Amino acid sequence: MKIKKTVKTALALALIAAFLFSAGNRTFAYIATGRDTKMPPVKSEAINGKTDDFNLIYENDKIAYYWRDDRDVLAIKDKETGYVMKTGADFPFANDIKDKIKKLKKQGVSDEELIAAAEDYAGDLNATYVGIANSFLTIEYFSSDKIKYISSASESGAFSELTKISDGKFKLAADFEEIEVSLNIYLDFTKNEIQITVPSEEIKGNGKKNIAAFDFCPFLGASGGVINRFNPVTLEYEKMDNYRVPGYVLVPDGSGALIRFNDNTAVFDSYIGDVYGKDYATETYYKSALYDDVPAKDPVMPVFGIAHGNGQMAFVSWADEGAEYMDIIVNHDGSKGASYTWAYPRFEKNVNFFQLYDEKGNGFFKQMDDIFDYDISLTYSFLFGDGSDGDYPADYVGMALEYREHLMENGVINEMKYRNEDIPIRLDFIMGDAEKGLFGTKQVVATTTDEVEEILSGISEGGIKNINSGLIGWQKKGESLNKPYEMNFTGSIGSKNDFKSLISKMADKGIDVSFAREAITINKKMAAYSGNAVKAISNWYVSVDKSEVLPAKPIISTFSYINPETAAKWVLKLNDKVSDFSKSLTLSGISNVLTSHYNRDGVVTSLTESLELYEKTLGGINQDLMLNLENPNQYLWKYTDRYLQMPVGGSQFIYENDSVPFLQLVLCGTMEMYAPYANFSFYTDDCVLRMIDYNLSPSFILSKAPSYVLSDSFYSYLYSTEYVLYEDKIYSIYNRINSILSEVSSMDWVGRTVPENDVVINSYKDGNTQKHIIINYTEKPVTYMGITVNAESAAVVK
Amino acid sequence: MNQSFIKKNRFIILVLALLLVLDMTSYSVARAQQATSYTYAEDEDGYWVRTQDAYLPYLTVTDLSLSGAEEMFIDANDILYIADTGNKRIILFDLNQGQVINEIKAPVMSSPRGVYVTKNGKIYVADTGAKAVLIFNNDLSFERAIYKPDSPMFADTNYEPKRIAVDDAGNIFLVGEGVYNGIIQLASTGEFLGYFAVNDANLTIAQRIQRALFTREQLANLIDANPTVFTNVFVDKDGIVYTATSGMNHNGMKKHATNGGNMFVDDVYSNPELIDVYVDNQGMIYTASVGGYISVYSKNGEEVFSFGSAVRTQDIAGLFTRLSSVAVDSKGYIWAMDATKGYIQGFKPTEYASLVYSAMNLYEEGHYEASMEKWNEVLKLNQMSVLAHNGVGKAYLHAENYEKAMEHFEVANNKGMYSEAFWEVRNDYIQDYLTAGLIIIVVLLIANAVLKGFDKKYGKYTALKGKVSEKLKNTKVIRDFYWAFKTNRKPFDHYYEIKKNRQGSLLGATSIYLVFFIVFMWYQAGKGFIYQYTDIEDMDITSIVAGFFAILILFIVGNYLVTSITDGDGTLKQVYMIPAYGLMPAMVSLIAVTLVSHVLTYNESFLLTLALMVGIAWSAVTIFIGLMTVHDYTFKETVKSFIITLAFMFIFAVVLIIISIMSESLFSFFGSIGKEVFWQ
Repeated sequence: MKIKKTVKTALALALIAAFLFSAGNRTFAYIATGRDTKMPPVKSEAINGKTDDFNLIYENDKIAYYWRDDRDVLAIKDKETGYVMKTGADFPFANDIKDKIKKLKKQGVSDEELIAAAEDYAGDLNATYVGIANSFLTIEYFSSDKIKYISSASESGAFSELTKISDGKFKLAADFEEIEVSLNIYLDFTKNEIQITVPSEEIKGNGKKNIAAFDFCPFLGASGGVINRFNPVTLEYEKMDNYRVPGYVLVPDGSGALIRFNDNTAVFDSYIGDVYGKDYATETYYKSALYDDVPAKDPVMPVFGIAHGNGQMAFVSWADEGAEYMDIIVNHDGSKGASYTWAYPRFEKNVNFFQLYDEKGNGFFKQMDDIFDYDISLTYSFLFGDGSDGDYPADYVGMALEYREHLMENGVINEMKYRNEDIPIRLDFIMGDAEKGLFGTKQVVATTTDEVEEILSGISEGGIKNINSGLIGWQKKGESLNKPYEMNFTGSIGSKNDFKSLISKMADKGIDVSFAREAITINKKMAAYSGNAVKAISNWYVSVDKSEVLPAKPIISTFSYINPETAAKWVLKLNDKVSDFSKSLTLSGISNVLTSHYNRDGVVTSLTESLELYEKTLGGINQDLMLNLENPNQYLWKYTDRYLQMPVGGSQFIYENDSVPFLQLVLCGTMEMYAPYANFSFYTDDCVLRMIDYNLSPSFILSKAPSYVLSDSFYSYLYSTEYVLYEDKIYSIYNRINSILSEVSSMDWVGRTVPENDVVINSYKDGNTQKHIIINYTEKPVTYMGITVNAESAAVVK
Repeated sequence: MNQSFIKKNRFIILVLALLLVLDMTSYSVARAQQATSYTYAEDEDGYWVRTQDAYLPYLTVTDLSLSGAEEMFIDANDILYIADTGNKRIILFDLNQGQVINEIKAPVMSSPRGVYVTKNGKIYVADTGAKAVLIFNNDLSFERAIYKPDSPMFADTNYEPKRIAVDDAGNIFLVGEGVYNGIIQLASTGEFLGYFAVNDANLTIAQRIQRALFTREQLANLIDANPTVFTNVFVDKDGIVYTATSGMNHNGMKKHATNGGNMFVDDVYSNPELIDVYVDNQGMIYTASVGGYISVYSKNGEEVFSFGSAVRTQDIAGLFTRLSSVAVDSKGYIWAMDATKGYIQGFKPTEYASLVYSAMNLYEEGHYEASMEKWNEVLKLNQMSVLAHNGVGKAYLHAENYEKAMEHFEVANNKGMYSEAFWEVRNDYIQDYLTAGLIIIVVLLIANAVLKGFDKKYGKYTALKGKVSEKLKNTKVIRDFYWAFKTNRKPFDHYYEIKKNRQGSLLGATSIYLVFFIVFMWYQAGKGFIYQYTDIEDMDITSIVAGFFAILILFIVGNYLVTSITDGDGTLKQVYMIPAYGLMPAMVSLIAVTLVSHVLTYNESFLLTLALMVGIAWSAVTIFIGLMTVHDYTFKETVKSFIITLAFMFIFAVVLIIISIMSESLFSFFGSIGKEVFWQ
């Protein structure tokens, strides 16, 4: 009897084991969604990178920097652990090492000497790629219409020399003979940072105009590859997989995403993060169209990083100058014929574009005669350890905190002066628009000023105190038919006085109501293109066809962008008019779109000038008004009081394994941060938890009328806005988030860990007080820090 | 299982059950991503409008090393079968475990391109390379192959099975490479039973000629990227056959009756690049298009959602480089295949989609009340949902709350159902007020008779009437307008008066045209909901106005020119007047139809058609007689001049179009010369 029982138990245990085993295999075939943050990588064993042939060029108590002249490789060594990262792969050229070994063998040296001399060399990179993999700088250049690569560490055609200027300051003079380009790169070593600058005026040579882009340190932190390693027994080289570093690349896709170092069977396209979005004026074609895919998110900040292991060594890299021309590139294992994951910043200097000469589309490809003229300032900041020593940890959290500190030091962001205990809520209103009428266009009304007053007063009386609101489509016949600064009112929504009274009455209740305006899109029914719209480099007005995403019979479906000077001028005019009404202003479009502007003689406003112009303009406005900006780019953060429509997660590239609140970690406590509208597929329990996890305040867009009144207008995509349908949700979602986040509203967000998949612990700190928020995304209760958190809920640990 | 066995093995059974439960939830726990494409549904006018996300990208399988795989199938145990064409194998992938559990390889397998698994576990493979249907037992062993049928009917037909489905009786349905006649139907023995469904009706003449003359390569190279061909076939759990056809905007997805006919009554929208059709256990139908769209239909062919994008992927989850197959597992998750990249992409239904499905199911099962509750929840999330308004409307219809039903059908623009509800409402109304109405009519008749009696005595009313009519008759415009009412009664006589310039005038004719135009516009825009097929905001007013007057002017000028060289007597003025004075019957019928359309349902639509036809025919005959009389033509001459006038109108319109195109080209020609000079 007893034996039988034992057998049964054993059988059961075996079944459980089999199940667990199969469960363990589950992750094998699936790429789980990149929606969550998963557990950190395991420990990296790639600690002791050789620095034998390197010269120590700078050190402090934490880091030692070594330089290898023949390969242009800089090694960065954590003095405490000995962990080394190199800016290049540090490979010999295959022919060189093979010749060397052959020669030594011929000389009959001892086995020990042979083994010592036999370096690993690349097994899946050709000579050009070995050059790139080693290089400190690779230049992409145009050879007819094709892009080719030449690196500072090429086998031939380029040479470079590092000279010391003063302690911690060096100059790398690089001469790319083959393409007739020479330039100077300055290296400045401070504490845990290397700052790299390339002054534009020091780029010289006849081949200058052919430069397409500069790629810096393309293999810094790279993982993977196939190598040829010398077998000490057979004394022959053998091909094998290189060590796979456990780690990831952080990309600023949306709120931030991690691309883990994986071995891929599939071939993925490179990740290209165009910082501050596309410059529509210098795209290959001046025409583009929107389709029914959700557009991929563009980085709003010029930053990326790579982490090795679990809190071992990482770097975060950012551009202080040249960011508007920066792309962040990640090539995946399996793509480009090599099995590396490598990431680097690319600075664009020239573009290939299609010069049309007639409406039919005839034309030819060409490049600009003069390259983009800007200085580059790029910083690599290194992080070590798991943060237990009080320094920032070597992971994405540490990267965010390090970057945040840098931005604060430079005044790009500042601590919020006043933090409310209750978190804020954003309640925008869609008031009206135009649609096609029997003759011409007719007014559509979704919400009147009286109705806004009624709804906001109701919610305020219902117990939500910290409310702010933007009014969208307040103009007569909506914003698409009015220039940004035009203030035409219609009695059917509310007269000028109605708006004045609404805004002031609400201000008395402590509710900030502002006019909202998209201020970068133009169409021919709004204003003539001449002098107002962006002209592309090909001297044609930039044109975006939106017919696929607009309702069936739109008033107009072709749009362009307002050129930077006009956009700035119009926003200033709008500011003049708005300041009579409200203490704040809500802007979209201009907050997130950065373009240059050309005419037939060449550049009118460069990307850099455009950026500076917007900075100046919005900076000026911000002196009088609070600015609520929709997904603003980094150069406007200084003037942003409320960050609206903050991205949550990345663009869902298949190769992105995790989503992380990098952007939120950087900006927490410097401005109010709002989630995308909860109306549209962002209202589930899971989404509410995500708002708590990402420290975001909820936002809604509301109307009094049912949203189908908008179905033939430009706002047909607002398919669910009627207030009565959302009244309960507004309270329930707000109260759920507020009950957690109000506990930490005046604290700094200092940590985020994932103790098990789908459980996140966020740490907040204020002086000596520390609080933790445990977010349990799973469908079962979990216990951490002595607290049990129910399935799909969050709790605060004090 | 007997009781004692259960008792004895309680522990093991418990563990097994526990494992089963764990296993069932194993992949539903992972959270879906944010949407990467918008979800669309049809609006009340049949246009696409955005709606809440229905499916979200979910797990992706990228490491199967597929080679040229195009088709997959999911069996009742959620095992995904993939026809891995290039690797000459069928992969069995367990969706619950997330791993490959087996593969079928056989020497006979050459390029497996289609796979179907029957209820009893037999695996059917369509192999174009082997030119055979390969059948495998449920232990994956090879059973037999079905090669080309030797039926004389099939003699010259190409036999390269590309896609396959099998019904419960073992009948095999094949999409064959290069077979345009239809779905090849084979008996379980391999005997050719005929072509099951035929699409030929939709071929253009040019396509037929191409089919007849061209080689397969030439056909493949045709510029027409979406030829009308069967691309897939599917048999659902009830044995119903579905097919997918590319190259059609409508009815490319069909649900077939046993005779091969299409069971869908209404037009079903379908993507011209349709490549796959799949049906889940609830009878919901899923289709995939090569471009990257996945659509979901109800079992009646109503389109529920469509999502995806024509944008070629940048490796974003949920977007495809070449979508080739779609399949649905027991949990309702959609799995789709990217043939170029070799990915399998999962999609998880959202709460919104689940709500819609449960509302539909409840209705199907006859729980109208419960379904209405669900539909109302759907409306909270998407007030524009035509599906939901229809659902609520139908539930109200069943609950005999016809007025409420009408409201919802009106929002959904469901004229048919509205008509049904309206019929009931009208019926109630008639029953309620019939007696009262009759009494009122009788009272009015009596009153009229009494008044007339009084009038006979005192004559006041007659005198007043005479005075007014005298005054009206003396106003020329009114007199000339009124003449139109006479012409259609005795057209020969009254047009003769016009010919002699004794009656009618330019002013009169012009006023008739204007009034007619107003009536025409009212007819266009003012009919009752059931009969108003185009919304006012959707009307192209400019082209209606311009078209109306352009045709009129062209006719008048044309007829005048034609008749003046064929000895017609009519002056331009008279030719201008002829149509006007014949328009009255048409005008009256338009007014009548527009008025009556507000109270009629579809059951009485023939009345409207009849009234309209009579009015127009009467007018046409009148105008014809007018032409004959005024020009002093014989019948034959009138017909001839009429035809020549039409030809003139046509030629003139063509000339106008040519001139406008030419001037545009000329303009752009000079423009491009200018630009060319500038850029060169």
